[in-house]
Amino acid sequence: MSDGLGEGGDGRRRPRCSRSSGVAVLSGPGKRASPKAAGANTPHDGQARVLPSAWTSLDTAGSMQEAQDALETYRKKDPNKVVVRFKAVGNAPIMKQNFYKITASNRFQAVIQFLRKELGWKAGDPLFTYINLAFSPAPDDTVTNLFKSFATDGHLIVNYSTTAAWG
Amino acid sequence: MSTYAPRHTPSAFSTPASTTLFRRLTWEGTVPLEVRVDAKELPANSDRGLECYYMQAPRVSYLPLLVPEIKRFLMDVVFDEAAARVIKEEDWWFESEEGSLLKWHWSIGLIYDNHTITASLRNNSSSSQITPLRLVLHLASPPTDKLLLSPSTDACKQAFMGQLKEADFMRWGSTKRMTGLRKAEQDGLWEGIKEHNFDEYWRVAAKVTPTTTPTRSTSPPPPPSSASMHTRPPSADPGSTAAPDRDGAYSVRSVPVRIYLPDGPVLQDLVPPVLEDGTVHTLAKFLATHLPLLFPPGKPPLAYALVQGVHAPPDAEMAWLGACMPSADGWVNVCVGILRDARVGRF
Repeated sequence: MSDGLGEGGDGRRRPRCSRSSGVAVLSGPGKRASPKAAGANTPHDGQARVLPSAWTSLDTAGSMQEAQDALETYRKKDPNKVVVRFKAVGNAPIMKQNFYKITASNRFQAVIQFLRKELGWKAGDPLFTYINLAFSPAPDDTVTNLFKSFATDGHLIVNYSTTAAWG
Repeated sequence: MSTYAPRHTPSAFSTPASTTLFRRLTWEGTVPLEVRVDAKELPANSDRGLECYYMQAPRVSYLPLLVPEIKRFLMDVVFDEAAARVIKEEDWWFESEEGSLLKWHWSIGLIYDNHTITASLRNNSSSSQITPLRLVLHLASPPTDKLLLSPSTDACKQAFMGQLKEADFMRWGSTKRMTGLRKAEQDGLWEGIKEHNFDEYWRVAAKVTPTTTPTRSTSPPPPPSSASMHTRPPSADPGSTAAPDRDGAYSVRSVPVRIYLPDGPVLQDLVPPVLEDGTVHTLAKFLATHLPLLFPPGKPPLAYALVQGVHAPPDAEMAWLGACMPSADGWVNVCVGILRDARVGRF
């Protein structure tokens, strides 16, 4: 199957850019075996087929609206706060106050900026942060997700350091 | 890579053929991309009729890794020598055609599925057509405040390794399996992605990714559709003389899973492989727990779930998904879309 990272020189380098042109070869989602589940023994034949009834919906307009409403509900930001405990690593200074309540819907990036402010460090100063002395989360991971996954004793431990420790 | 574990060896290091099959299918999945340079940024004297580049990109790869191939095309076909001299690919960044900044630390497959679902919802169009994802490539002034991290391949690698460690911690409550790898092995994971080499990646990944175990019998395991494999973890088999598979997919503390809703948010929580009542944690139960408004228990669902672009069946087991269809960074990405009508698109 093509992987898109081939060496080139195969004539693909001069495509016409036209909105009406289709894409020639697609090995996208449609053409692969499905994971077989317990009790499902219909052979996969690589062609279009109707999903098992568990996935089909019946009342179209009403259910679309209900679904949109559901999405709106899930998009609402959680106003609750969770407890974050900052722990210094190595030579990093220990703060007077280590436990803070952080809004659950904040991204981890906001926690890093908050910590930087509390420490009085500037944007260019090296600051490395970890969860449970183990890994660095992506800056756009939310505090609520990290809390639900990794909290211990009711708080989320965020370690901070001036040098890369577990990077 | 198809070996069945003899009973006395730890089965974490042997992979059933079915697991390998799905890992290879996931690895070889690709999505169509259309990459177009922002017209305002094309250097003067560029050949403007040809600034679009079509490619099939691996689902498990990342946008910054596509830059060399795109750059070769643009250098050959679009830019003249003067322009070529001032190209700084570390300043390149991507937007969707609707103008939203693309997260380069998301795998390409995730970007594609999430975008397809979101766009079809906004345009109220059918999502059963496979169309190229249109990307706008900018050559300068990356919005570093919104990007949060610089889009260099080094930063991409760091983010990737971070996600692998986070997944490791989700599974076991520690990262010692990842940190126990030698540096060369850790680098080998990223090299496998860069070179798109299945064997190079999985040679190392198999050490840290749990597998599903074959059933305890001397004959080859039954196909995954057999009920016996899915309703009783091997350790529950009273006749088994093998040790329970402590490193197996059903022994993890939590499967690393994230849910992506159209236009956000991203949800993450603990996903035990077996529930408190002893039943196996299936996708249906998982979705009913976390998105009960879209998957109301006992009623027809309003939505569906894509994993690696495939409509995952409701009775797929979370532990199995974690072993067989994670992204290269270790995470099972569940993209939720809204069902449109009773006739559903291609499986």
